[in-house]
Amino acid sequence: MEERNNTTTPESAGKTCCCGWGAFVVGLVVALILGWWVLPNLMKETKKQPIAFSHVEHVQNQGMTCDQCHFVRADGTFSGAPTTEQCAECHFTILGKDPEEARFVREYVQTGREIKTEWLIYQKQPDNVFFSHALHFGPLAELQTPADIAKFCSKCHLNVAETSVPPLYRENRLSGYSENTMLMWGCERCHAEHMALGNTNASNACFTCHK
Amino acid sequence: MSSEVKEFKIKWGMVIDLDKCTGCGACMVACQAENNVAPAVDGSNKLRSLNWLKVFRLSNHKPFPDHETVYLPRPCMQCGKPSCVAVCPVIATDKREEGGIVSQIPPRCIGCRYCMASCPYHARYFNWYDPKWPGDLAQALSPDVSTRMRGVVEKCSFCHHRFMSAQAKARANGQDPMNLPDGAYVTACTEACPNGAITFGDLNNPAHKVHELIKSPYAFRLLERLGTDPQVYYLSKREWVRREGDNYLENEKTGEAVIK
Amino acid sequence: MDRRGFLKFAAGGTVGLVASPIIWNTLYDAVYWTQNWGWIPRLKKGASEYLPTVSKLCPSGTGFLVRTVAGTPVRTLSDRNNPVSHGSMTALAAAEAELRVSPARLKKPLRRSPDGAYVAISWAEAEKLLKEHMQAAGSSVAAFSGDPTTSINEVLSAMLYQRGSADFYLMPDEEQPAAAAWTAMGGQGRLGYDIEHSDCVLAVGAPILESWGVVAANRSVFNRTHPAGGTPAQTFVYASPVQNNTAAGADLWLPIKPGTEMALLLGIAHLLIKAGKSGFAAGLPNFAGFAAAYTPEKVTAITGVPADRLEAAVKALTGAKKPLVIAGSALGSGGAAGPVMAAIAVNMLLGSVGREGGLVDMPFPSPVVNGAAEYRHLLTRSLVRYTQSVAAGKTSAPKMLIVYAANPVYALPSDAGVRETLKKAGFSVAVASFMSETCEACDLVLPAALGMEAFDDVLTPYGSGLTTYALARPVAKPFAEARSAGELFIALAQEVGVDLGVKDMPELLYKRAYALGAPFRAMLESGTVHTAVEKGPVSPLFYNWEAIKAAASAKAADAPLQIAPVVVLGMGTAQTAIPPFATKVVTEYQLAGKLSVAQMNAATAARLKVKDGDLLKITAANKVETTVRAAVFEGVMTDTVSLTAGLGHTAFDQFSKGKGANVVTLTSISREPGTNLPVWGNADVNAARA
Repeated sequence: MEERNNTTTPESAGKTCCCGWGAFVVGLVVALILGWWVLPNLMKETKKQPIAFSHVEHVQNQGMTCDQCHFVRADGTFSGAPTTEQCAECHFTILGKDPEEARFVREYVQTGREIKTEWLIYQKQPDNVFFSHALHFGPLAELQTPADIAKFCSKCHLNVAETSVPPLYRENRLSGYSENTMLMWGCERCHAEHMALGNTNASNACFTCHK
Repeated sequence: MSSEVKEFKIKWGMVIDLDKCTGCGACMVACQAENNVAPAVDGSNKLRSLNWLKVFRLSNHKPFPDHETVYLPRPCMQCGKPSCVAVCPVIATDKREEGGIVSQIPPRCIGCRYCMASCPYHARYFNWYDPKWPGDLAQALSPDVSTRMRGVVEKCSFCHHRFMSAQAKARANGQDPMNLPDGAYVTACTEACPNGAITFGDLNNPAHKVHELIKSPYAFRLLERLGTDPQVYYLSKREWVRREGDNYLENEKTGEAVIK
Repeated sequence: MDRRGFLKFAAGGTVGLVASPIIWNTLYDAVYWTQNWGWIPRLKKGASEYLPTVSKLCPSGTGFLVRTVAGTPVRTLSDRNNPVSHGSMTALAAAEAELRVSPARLKKPLRRSPDGAYVAISWAEAEKLLKEHMQAAGSSVAAFSGDPTTSINEVLSAMLYQRGSADFYLMPDEEQPAAAAWTAMGGQGRLGYDIEHSDCVLAVGAPILESWGVVAANRSVFNRTHPAGGTPAQTFVYASPVQNNTAAGADLWLPIKPGTEMALLLGIAHLLIKAGKSGFAAGLPNFAGFAAAYTPEKVTAITGVPADRLEAAVKALTGAKKPLVIAGSALGSGGAAGPVMAAIAVNMLLGSVGREGGLVDMPFPSPVVNGAAEYRHLLTRSLVRYTQSVAAGKTSAPKMLIVYAANPVYALPSDAGVRETLKKAGFSVAVASFMSETCEACDLVLPAALGMEAFDDVLTPYGSGLTTYALARPVAKPFAEARSAGELFIALAQEVGVDLGVKDMPELLYKRAYALGAPFRAMLESGTVHTAVEKGPVSPLFYNWEAIKAAASAKAADAPLQIAPVVVLGMGTAQTAIPPFATKVVTEYQLAGKLSVAQMNAATAARLKVKDGDLLKITAANKVETTVRAAVFEGVMTDTVSLTAGLGHTAFDQFSKGKGANVVTLTSISREPGTNLPVWGNADVNAARA
């Protein structure tokens, strides 16, 4: 340890300064690595979907439409992800060569395990939020191709239509929410700015979206 | 805050025929279950229990045997000029949406309770404690209304989630969500009342039954002369019941109030 | 590194952190925390279904829609398509989804250990115990059922009858005295009431808008005949000691002293005869002669009904095209046959028997299980007579006693001898959904599924004018380890070698539906409810004036104060106690803290020298004492104190336990002259300021 000096000479000041800049840079680099890479990754827990579901296979190769799985029910609620039972309408037995499909049939269809409750929802909203898909589907009627529909849906959702493996689900360990969960400003892009997407007539009253 | 009065194309309203109400409490039970209001161990303690809808017992103040009893269910009046909205410092309560329902957003509420002080109908309740659903009771929570937390105010919302569901259903079936047929949206209490004492609908829509009912000579509102313009109407053929609705001088008659 | 160097390092680190997204993202994520209240229950998501079925907890068997979310019931909603209730539902049925998961719900089979504590056992052990004791008991077995509308009664009674025991009893209810009255007046079928088509209903004692009969149906009639803001199509006159919930719907309330219903009806009969209403049948002159003694002056003196109101009530009846008179008890059990006989006589005078909007003579259902009891015979068998006899040692105690869906320990007066019978019984089994006082007195407690969790049925409750049949369908999984009571008893019967002729509940219900000509498949699949207008044999009714005279000779109350119990169905039944969501329906004039509230009018309060809010000590004729809080309410007959029934539970959960006093404990059982029926419900008491 350096001897304590009550009087600081210009030389000694210059010397510490030099050494200090090194410390500053080291601190900066360490913090940047921590702040940009280590901590964000520590804070987010990465989860995989229970099944490596391929939208590409279903839509492009098998020619399915979006609303065969994701549809508005007669009571106005949205079906969301399909249930094991719905999947089993086709996958009652192993249809292809994909090992994931075989696993799905074995572990879910044959045992009656429910895929829907295990499926991780990227956009899961808290209890206080009311969201009706049916009330947001106005322009959907005019859209024909899955690609157009995917473009429309991806205004809020991750565009999964062209993925052959589901995106990783990253959950904030502190808050418990997915990093893709849309915040209120996301809703207000339209609800506060009526003309943002053409006149949507969206109300920005509290009760429109909260319950 | 928003002290200006907003006019709405749709005005959801309730008409409660007090001559039909027998005070059985089915509406209160249905309300609690529908809106996830936590049960109280001693609910007879009205200072400590929380009721979005409360049934009061009225008396004509005459001695036996000329005494008469009437039960009066009291939801939130969804006032046209809500005094609670005007005093809320954080806009946790508001009246802005088509339909004229006064909203209450619990996570936004800071618990100052100004709204409770300003509400002349005592329709607002404060969560002094965290709500509790002992044992497995939470399994029966309805998915439609978020649970509240300690330190916030809550009140009747005319089962607003049912309005939203009715709109979604109308849209799903190709109907106009802003022109719901009579009965497509009713509150849980309306539905639960075995006597049909509560009628619910759009006060502005001539196709809805309430539109006619509020024109009845027997219709009145609570504390009408305060000018809060409630969207809840009451009916009674009995003059004394209508007098209970406001503070009348002995020589005053009901139905004379000038409603601005 | 020196100190200065460290500071520089720290400064670099700070700059680096500020320039990286972590702090800002964390602050930004604080938004999520406005929504994170980990200690408050979260909502579940999933598809909603609305499944029609019927309530087995509500005594009127209300039909309702059970709303399930991802398979779990969250609400019970009124069912507009139900042909019985037309969308009316009782406050009790409205609480059933919550009752399903209430803290009082039984989760596992419990066995009482020698030290009195209950130990959870497995179903296999429970079934083994049941079988062993059933076999060991031989013919010394008795069973009580608290559900008069279920076909499970046939399984229980067949099991007992085939093993040589006739001791199967229904809990006392309104129908047993009414059946005695109907038989006495010459009725051969089952007494029914066509309330729907009547234009003037006089209910004496029977709270038809709160708890009497098929209350959901009664209230739907009230709803339809009383359009909101419009002119009523039905006049409703109601006589009771208290302005209760039913009185609030009445066009005319007749305040009446408790226990004087018969005198009122005889007075009305006299005035009707004077007004020329005298439907002819054998015995009319004698009856008219007997009724002539009940002059308006005398009736006013006995009953306390003001003369002008008595006149108005008679005017309403004579002015109506299709009047109907109903008599019943406030408590719903322990009523006398006399008032019903008098009501039948008044209906006969008015020509209100067998015509639309009058009394209906319906056929009794026949059993579909081999060797099961006929319902009409069950109505003549009195549980109280049996338990009193066992308690007194006149009848030998059963070696095995099964109590199904009943809570006699709470519901019956203490001199009914239920506790003694349970104590004397070799082995007592309670099959119930909630931990009741009776469960706490039994050796084995078995958790039964609710109506929405298992197959069950509701066959024409008393008070209906139609034959109705509804299936309770399992729309949800049984809570915890609860099981279908029907399946349990059928399996037990098979184990002990009883041939029921049915192998499971669906087959039993199918047979029942088939016998009624009801569409079983539609009922099973979509919850359709069967209704039919069934004409029974035309009974040769006559004015049995001797029976009426005998019943009218019952000892009049002579104590200075009477108790008038008030039943509020929203506060549950003896089997359910107060549902968690109904505690707020309990008002400050029914319960104050841990004390029952006694309502009385100002004249009574002045005589008792109490003021509103004072404590009052009530001493009943049976020496039972209870302290209550006095409340002045002018809607109570003078010298009468109104107490709410359904309080004073010592079992169940925190929502019911230790609240107020059980009004039934204040009453004692007496025998009605003539019919010899055990009656209770009104009580002579003394009261003084405490």
